[in-house]
Amino acid sequence: MMRTYLRLLATFFRVSLLGELAYRANFWLQMVESLIELGTALALVSVVFTYTQSLNGWHASELLILIGTYFLIGGAINMVIMPGMSRLIEQVRLGTLDYLLTKPEEAQLLVSIQRLDIWKLLDLLLGLALLVAATIWHGSWPDPLQVLAFALTLLAGTAIVYSFVLFLATLSFWYVRVENILVIFESMYEAGRWPVDIYPGWLRATLTFIVPVAFAVTVPAEALTARLTWLALLGTLTLAALSLLVARLFWRFAIRSYSGASA
Amino acid sequence: MTAARRRAADGIDVPWRLLAILRQATNPMEEEDQRSTRGANQAMTVSAAISVEHLRKVYRVYEREAGLRAALRGLVQRHIQEVIGVDDLTFTIELGEIVGFLGPNGAGKTTTLKMLAGLLYPTTGTLQVLGHLPWRRERSFLRQIALVMGQRQQLIWDIPVSDSFELNRVIYRIPSAQYRQTLDELTDLLELAPLLQKPVRNLSLGERMKCEIAACLLHRPRVLFLDEPTIGLDVVMQRRIRDFVREYNRRTGATVLLTSHYMADVEALCRRVILIHHGKMLFDGELTRLIERFSPYKTIAVRLQEPANLRPYGEVIGQSEDRITLRVPKSAVARVTARLLTELPVIDLSVEDPPIEAVIEHIFTQEEVG
Repeated sequence: MMRTYLRLLATFFRVSLLGELAYRANFWLQMVESLIELGTALALVSVVFTYTQSLNGWHASELLILIGTYFLIGGAINMVIMPGMSRLIEQVRLGTLDYLLTKPEEAQLLVSIQRLDIWKLLDLLLGLALLVAATIWHGSWPDPLQVLAFALTLLAGTAIVYSFVLFLATLSFWYVRVENILVIFESMYEAGRWPVDIYPGWLRATLTFIVPVAFAVTVPAEALTARLTWLALLGTLTLAALSLLVARLFWRFAIRSYSGASA
Repeated sequence: MTAARRRAADGIDVPWRLLAILRQATNPMEEEDQRSTRGANQAMTVSAAISVEHLRKVYRVYEREAGLRAALRGLVQRHIQEVIGVDDLTFTIELGEIVGFLGPNGAGKTTTLKMLAGLLYPTTGTLQVLGHLPWRRERSFLRQIALVMGQRQQLIWDIPVSDSFELNRVIYRIPSAQYRQTLDELTDLLELAPLLQKPVRNLSLGERMKCEIAACLLHRPRVLFLDEPTIGLDVVMQRRIRDFVREYNRRTGATVLLTSHYMADVEALCRRVILIHHGKMLFDGELTRLIERFSPYKTIAVRLQEPANLRPYGEVIGQSEDRITLRVPKSAVARVTARLLTELPVIDLSVEDPPIEAVIEHIFTQEEVG
C-alpha cells in the first residue's frame, strides 16, 4: 500500500524534475536567489549582534539555528506545498480540476503532491548546512531527546502550515481568485526569520494563531536550543493533528459543493 | 509474507487507514450509501451501462450586476439566483452503444456528462453508471470511466507525452504488461509513435488532442464521455478522431457518450442521438427518425432545360446555374413533383431529406420562439 504511494510521489518527482530540466536557467536563478536571501539574513544577524550580545535571550549562534530552521522548512513548503496549492487554484479557474477528480485516487493527495518546485531543494540543503554549522558554533550538541523534539515539531510545523495553506487554497472553490492570499502568506512567513517573541504582543499572536509561522520556525528552533517545554511540545502536536483534521473536513466540504468552472 | 513484514507493512499503513477512518467519520452517510449501491448493483439489469431517471441539476449562482457600485455592494450582500442546468432527463444507454448528445451551447450537455462522470451532484433524480452511483466517486467506478474534454487539457505542458502517460499509469495502477499492450495499440491506432517523445508544447492542436485522448484511454475505460473531442480540429484530423472512436468501440465494446457541435461526427458515429435544449429532453432515438419527425419539409432539386419561375411550386432555397432547390411541405411532395414533371421541361429531379444541421437548427430556433 505505502509502496504505491511512494511510487506515486516518485513519479510526480520525476515528472517535475523533467519539467524543470526543460528550463535549466531556472536552476542558476534559484541558486542566486537562495544565496542572496541567505546572505541578507546572515548580514542582518551580524549587524544586530554588533550592538548586543543577545536578542531577547537568543544568542547569535542560536539565532543562526533559527535561520537554518527557517530555510529548511521554508524550502520544504516552497518545494512541495506552495506549488501544488497554486496549481490547484489555477485548476479550479481553468476547470482542469475535473480531470484530477476523475482519477481513482484521493484527490487531496494528488493535489498536494502534483507539482514540486525541485530547485527549492537548494533552500532546504542550505538550511540544513546552516543548522549543522550553527550547532557546531553553539558548542554544545543537543541531546537525542532534543533532536527528537526538533524532528517532531518540524513535522508538526509542516503539517500546520500545510493545513493552513490548503485551507486558503480551498477557498478558491468559492472565490475563484485567491492567489493573493498565498502571497500574503509568503510575506508573513518572512517574519519567521526572527524568533516570534521579539515582536510586540499583537503581532506575536498573529504570527502564532492566525498565520502559524511561530509553529513552523520558532517552535522547532526552541526545541533544538532547549527552550521548549513539554507542554508546548504537546500543544504543538495536538494543534498539528487538529489543523490536519479541520483542513481535511473543509476540503471534503469544498469538493462536495464544487460545481466546476462552467456549466 | 512473514509475520514481521506484515507487521511492518501494517505500521506504515496507519496514516492511510487513519485517513480512511476520518473519511468515514466525516461522512456518516458513506456506509449506508455503499450498502444501497450494492443493493442497486444487484437489482440492476446487466445490460444498461448508463441509466438516468428524472435527473435535475440546479446551480446556485451569485448574481452580478453591472457597474462598480453594484459590484461593491455585491461584496457585502450577494443575490443568489437559481439556474436550471438540467431538467428532468430520463434515458438509458446500453453497453457498447455510441450515443450522440446534441444541443446548443448551454443546453446542459456538459452538466449531464459531469454528473455521469461523478463531478457534480444531481439536485434530484437518480443516475447510475455501470451499476455505480457516480457522485460517490468510488475507485472501482473511476477506474472504469474516462472523461475527455476537448477544451481542457490534462497533459503536462513541458514534459514529453510519454512521461504524462507514465503518470496516469501510476495513478491508475495499470499493470506493466497491460500498459505496454494498450499503449502499443493506441500508438498504432492514433499514429502516436513520432509524438511520444516530444514535449506537449511542441505539438500541434490535432496532435495534442490525439495524445489527450490516448492518455484518457490507457486504463481501458468501459464507459467513455467525450465532450467535444474534435473542437477546433481540421477536417482530416476530425475524421481521424472519429475513425478512432469507432474502432475503439468496436474493439473494446466500450460505451461512448459523445457531444459535438460537428454534425459530421454525430452522423458518422451515432445511430442514436439525444437532443436536449434548455436542460430538457427534446428527442431520444435514431438519427434518421429525428429527421422524419422534426422536419415538416423535404427538398426537391430540379434541373430544367430552360429557366422557369418555380415560385408557385414552393419556397426556392437554392439556385445554382441550372439546378434549383425547393423546400416543400412533406404532405405536398407528391403533388408538387407531379406538377413539376408535367408542367415544366425537367431534365432531372430528386427528392431529398434536408441536411441534418438544418433540421436541428430548425428545431432549436422553433423551441426558442415557442
